[in-house]
Amino acid sequence: MKAISTRGSSAGMKTILGCVVVVLCGLALVAGCQRDDAARDKGQGPQALVMPDKGAYTGAYVDFGEGEDDVTYDAITAFEKLTGKHLAVVAFGNFWGEQAFPAKSVRIVSGYGAIPLIYWSPWDRPYAEDRGPDRFNLPDILAGKWDAYIDQWADGARDYGKPMLVAWGVEMNGTWFPWSGAYYGGGTVVGQKDGQPLYAGPELVKQAYRYVVDRVRARKADNILWGFHANHYTMPHAPWNMMTNYYPGPDYVDWLGLSVYGKMLQSEDWNLFDTVMDAPYQEICRLDQKKPLILAEWGVGEFPPADKAEFIAKAFADLPTKYPRVKAAVYWHERWENTDGSYSNLRVNSSPEALDAYRSGVAAAYWLDRPQFRPR
Amino acid sequence: MARCMKMPDTQRQSKKSPPAVNSDSFVFLDARGKRWPRLRLIMFVSGLLFFIGVILFAQALFLPSPLTLPPAVQQLKSRLKTLQNKEHQSKQLATKPLWLNFSKGNSEPVATFPFLTDQSGAVSPLKKERRPQFACIQEIRLGFYESWDPGSFDSLKANAGNLTHLCPDWLTVEDGRGGLKAVEEQKVLDLVKDRGLVLLPLLRNMGGEGAWRPEAVEGLVNGPVVRQDQFIVSLKNRLKTMGAGGVVIDWEQVDPSYRGAMAALLRRIALALHADGMELWLCVPMGRELRALDLDGLAEHVDHFVAMLHDENSESDPPGPIASAEWFNGWLDTIIGYGESSQWVLALGSYGYDWTEGEKEAETVRFQDVMSRAGRSSLASCEFEAPTYNPHFEYEDSGAAHTLWFLDAVTFLNQLKAGRAQHVGGVAISRLGTEDPGIWQALRLDAAKPLTRANLATLETIKPGEAIAHIGRGNFITMADERGNGVRRLVLDKKDDLEAPVIERYEKFPSYLTIVHQGRGAKDAVAITFDDGPDPKWTPKILDILKAKGVSATFFMVGANMEKYPSLVRRIVREGHTVGIHTYTHPNIALVSEERAYLEFNATQRVIEAITDHSTILFRPPYNADTNPHDPEELVPIKLAQKLGYITVTEDIDPEDWARPGVAAMVENIKKGRQQGGNIVLLHDAGGERSQTVEALPAIIDYLQARGDSIVGLSAMLGIPLAELMPAVPQSQRSMSRVISESGFAAIHAVAEFFWAFMIVATTLVVIRTLTVAGLAVRSRRAGESGLPAAAGPHPPVSVLIAAYNEEKVIEQTLRAVLNSAYPGEIEVVVVDDGSQDVTAQIVAGMAASEGRIHLLRQINLGKATALKTGFDAVSHEIVISLDADTQFTPATIGELVRPFAEPSVAAVSGRARVGNPKTFVARFQSLEYTCGFNLDRRAYHLLNCITVVPGAVSAFRKSAVFAAGGISTDTLAEDTDLTLCLHKRGLKICYAPRGVAWTEAPETIRAFAKQRFRWAFGTLQCLWKHRDMLFNVKYRALGLFSLPSAWFFNILLVALGPIIDAILLISLLMSPANNILYVYFLVFLGADLLLAAVACLIEREPLSQVWLVLPMRFVYRPVLSYAVITAIVKASKGVLVGWGKLDRTASVTYNA
Repeated sequence: MKAISTRGSSAGMKTILGCVVVVLCGLALVAGCQRDDAARDKGQGPQALVMPDKGAYTGAYVDFGEGEDDVTYDAITAFEKLTGKHLAVVAFGNFWGEQAFPAKSVRIVSGYGAIPLIYWSPWDRPYAEDRGPDRFNLPDILAGKWDAYIDQWADGARDYGKPMLVAWGVEMNGTWFPWSGAYYGGGTVVGQKDGQPLYAGPELVKQAYRYVVDRVRARKADNILWGFHANHYTMPHAPWNMMTNYYPGPDYVDWLGLSVYGKMLQSEDWNLFDTVMDAPYQEICRLDQKKPLILAEWGVGEFPPADKAEFIAKAFADLPTKYPRVKAAVYWHERWENTDGSYSNLRVNSSPEALDAYRSGVAAAYWLDRPQFRPR
Repeated sequence: MARCMKMPDTQRQSKKSPPAVNSDSFVFLDARGKRWPRLRLIMFVSGLLFFIGVILFAQALFLPSPLTLPPAVQQLKSRLKTLQNKEHQSKQLATKPLWLNFSKGNSEPVATFPFLTDQSGAVSPLKKERRPQFACIQEIRLGFYESWDPGSFDSLKANAGNLTHLCPDWLTVEDGRGGLKAVEEQKVLDLVKDRGLVLLPLLRNMGGEGAWRPEAVEGLVNGPVVRQDQFIVSLKNRLKTMGAGGVVIDWEQVDPSYRGAMAALLRRIALALHADGMELWLCVPMGRELRALDLDGLAEHVDHFVAMLHDENSESDPPGPIASAEWFNGWLDTIIGYGESSQWVLALGSYGYDWTEGEKEAETVRFQDVMSRAGRSSLASCEFEAPTYNPHFEYEDSGAAHTLWFLDAVTFLNQLKAGRAQHVGGVAISRLGTEDPGIWQALRLDAAKPLTRANLATLETIKPGEAIAHIGRGNFITMADERGNGVRRLVLDKKDDLEAPVIERYEKFPSYLTIVHQGRGAKDAVAITFDDGPDPKWTPKILDILKAKGVSATFFMVGANMEKYPSLVRRIVREGHTVGIHTYTHPNIALVSEERAYLEFNATQRVIEAITDHSTILFRPPYNADTNPHDPEELVPIKLAQKLGYITVTEDIDPEDWARPGVAAMVENIKKGRQQGGNIVLLHDAGGERSQTVEALPAIIDYLQARGDSIVGLSAMLGIPLAELMPAVPQSQRSMSRVISESGFAAIHAVAEFFWAFMIVATTLVVIRTLTVAGLAVRSRRAGESGLPAAAGPHPPVSVLIAAYNEEKVIEQTLRAVLNSAYPGEIEVVVVDDGSQDVTAQIVAGMAASEGRIHLLRQINLGKATALKTGFDAVSHEIVISLDADTQFTPATIGELVRPFAEPSVAAVSGRARVGNPKTFVARFQSLEYTCGFNLDRRAYHLLNCITVVPGAVSAFRKSAVFAAGGISTDTLAEDTDLTLCLHKRGLKICYAPRGVAWTEAPETIRAFAKQRFRWAFGTLQCLWKHRDMLFNVKYRALGLFSLPSAWFFNILLVALGPIIDAILLISLLMSPANNILYVYFLVFLGADLLLAAVACLIEREPLSQVWLVLPMRFVYRPVLSYAVITAIVKASKGVLVGWGKLDRTASVTYNA
């Protein structure tokens, strides 16, 4: 090695010193971060839901009454006992007509050990379908008429603090709910973007969705995972009504959601699960490659001699194999009377055979019975 | 008092002048007579104070405390009010009545319901099959019976004679697999059999939570035939086991799409039942549900249809009539078109619905509840008008508006008339337990004839009977018992028109024994209560759990337990829980006398006040705490509590923790209770094995919190501040009686504890003493075996001294025995005659004349001690042998007595006295006592030189030692004990010569024995007192530390306390015979006696068989001894001069011989 001049040696010293300082700073930073992580690891900080890599969460809506919000601990545990598996997701409705954040219900759900999925629909009493817009119509929302309510709701969610799944504007590509695009101009072209027409209905719906989510986020309710929850078939079945047109954008959506039902009414045809799931699954998966997909509602009615047990068994068989992006499945357990006097019985125990099929289907290890969390 | 010291020389010349009785120095003598009056005064004053204290204490217990119900607890009178200015909202029938859709004359066919195409493949046979016919064509009267309501059973019992069929709610099909659940009641089965009713149990598809389960039926209806067959078989078997005549099926909320399949299933069931001679009846609901039933098809196979002609407005509907005339008649006309009219049984309602404004569901109420609410709202009458012809009214309760519609005997009569006009097969009463008692009267009215004034009059008086009415909701109850008849006027709407309805007008509502409920609390409020505590084993654990969960509860405690564990009570209050009373001893308040009940209440209140400085107005009755009291017995405690100012707190969620059903079962019970609207949980923290309660408590709290309920205290539920439910007793106002009662309780407590402590100490000491004495005696015997032979040793001359008073019978024998001694040495006998009144002196003089060794001294009667003193002065020799005039020496006695004197330090020797006349039991007792008492003790004490008494009956003394010790003193009755102790004080040795036997004459009667023992006891007492400085004095070694304390404790104290101890033991045994601690004490004492007796007999080589005498001695002998000791103590305190025996005398005359 050559002799190092004094000038070179002082430069060398500086370099070494500089390196030491940098290393020390780096260590300090890392240590500091780790301290925060340690705190978070203990569960003291805000939590986020972990979507499973392999497997999916069990879930159900358990016949919570007219406003879909009469959430009782006994009903949930009764369903658990009936099906033989704990629920990871408990879904219920909290409609704008109630004008309050459902603090008690989310506490019951989280006390039970599940994560709540709320259908936060801008719907007024008496919650009748096929009725068209009511006082919670989209223009009024955008005009700010319900700002106070949104803020108060957001505060409630923030105070609750734990992760929750919220779907706003459920099944907007149909006609039975008053917030659907069909009621707000439908396919009327109102503009252009990137060579594609923009349609009145979907645009208004997207606008309203973004408005609501922005307001809630402004109140710092960061524990909400927002879902884009579309129906498996579009009605009217027109190009303007495709679910793609309603997608508000990746920044406003944390999870993709689908309602997929087999035969629900006497008038409908009997189909197996994959028949009704294939197309919408592909369509919604195209909207985003990474975001988790939640089967936010699924079910089938009891219409003997049709084989409900087969439907359920096949659904449970297909979900892991054919629809691996589905990270949670919420079964719609309800029996209701239709206006013509007939009943639609989607309950898992509408017949002993159906119940057996559900029990054995959900028992598989693929179905996770408790939500997992990590520090946010 | 005289002390042991050298006596002045002047006293020794006893021959010259008779010594006076030293009355000045007589122990305990109170010469100036001041002690007894002083003592008497003290006793009187303290007795008076004690008496007053007891009175005050009792008063505090018996007289109730002035509790006032807080004003917020509203009195019955002001609670219910008539509703003012309520707008009447008449229901507008905008749409076509529903029944028209179903009537046979309907132009619109059933096909308007397009889905109702038969989907099942079952084909119904077309031919009419033959049904088993019942011979009687009397009107069917079916009673609907509910097993959970005791009132239903009461009604059944009372009115079974009016029924033909009974339908109890026993059968359920809960799941779609056709599983049948049955819950029968034997008492109902028995009654049905007894009264000859036909049993038709009700089969429903209703789940445990009270909701209809359509899947339960649909699973059968749509399921495989095999499932249906299995179900039918199990149903039939069940019915057969019950001895039923068939079944009534009530299947609701079934999807009408399955109409055809349903009909097919019902047909199969009918066929199967008919094959076994049973019937199938079917409940038919009036409404859209009718679509699910193919009445025409079913009419061929179903034996009877039960038309549910009520619940036009059910409890979940808005307020409205339950079966308005229009609705009723409309449906009746409709259904009668199906099947035969005789197939129809009309279910007529007799109950009410009470709607509270703002609540979703109405409360189902019974007729007496309706009447009670109407009456106490000061209503003029009910509304009863066209077109409903259903009575109804409105009232206000604590600010809430109520609407009440009901059906009574008049609506029943109208409906019955309408039904009979259509020739229906009969009626069903819905339901037993809620009905207006008038309906039974209505049934009796003859259908064929038109109603007359007289007929109607029978329904006009309404008697309350024993029925109990309920007002309000909640678990906090009070009672009102002003019963009175009611009156309603009945008129025919249009005279002579058979079809016209009867109109009624209530003029006076009957009043019943009424229970008033309050404190329903918020819908999600629930309270946890614990009964029977506190218990040191469970209560602390429960308190820990409650603290950890941050939950407050209420404790209803038993006075006796509170008194035992006051610290737990204080902890309960300190940690923020509520406290209520649960009586003192947990009796059934209904069964005890009213005085006792008062005492129970007041004593418990006092204890709470004393411990916590708070009172409480909350009461929970033992055994009967159900929120719907139903027996008159259950009402007694409520009435009493109310009178005293308490509010009774009941419960309506009972997990039955006392039965230990398991944690899961308990939580399940609580779930059911909450679902049914209950809000006070009953648990127990004492009164048995409560580990399961402790185990279940966290699970119960977790469950209640998980379902979103808030666990509150009773004050939150009732809406009254805790300070009013548990008012503090201000320090400054603590009344005298409270002080007394506090001290009373404390005193009782202290006495009880002292007693137990004393028993333990006494028993321990007895055991120690017994073992010590036995051990020493055995050692002593072994040591004594190697003794000096009789022949060796010196034989100094001895003087034998005898003091005699009236001993003419025995003196000669005694002297002869002495003279017959085998003692080689010289013997001199000195007899001192103590002024005998018989010929004793003459006999001795006579003997002295012929026998030179005998000398007689005479004195006036101055007492034995003086006589002995005189004797001691007169004897010539150093060794003086003393014996009583009735004691017989053996030839060896004197020799044995003299032998120990070879050692110079020996000052006195005790011989062994034995009872020579063991003829009577008393004498035999004494014989045993001598053996295992006196003699054994002496043997033992001899080893340690602590013999306390050298008996005058057989003993020997060194004269010089006696004089040195002060001689015989006359200031006690037991001069021998006195002398012995004085000798000990000089540091001299006292020995025991067991072979120096003398036979003494023991008193043979109890009387004489008692007198002797009194004298001994008094004397011993005197000596112990005189020499009290020796007690626990280390200087005197074994005497001071062992034998004297032993004498004090065992011979005086324990014997004196004997009767008291026995009495307490006896009372305790009677009160709680199972208390085995007392048996232990008793047996230990007895065991010690037996052991000692056995050891003694073995040592002394006496027959072991006499040991059994210990048992009767315990019960006969001991009391006499106790009496003697007690009398001695009394006399000692009195300070009376007690004489030697036969007479109490004071010296006044000297006698010169």
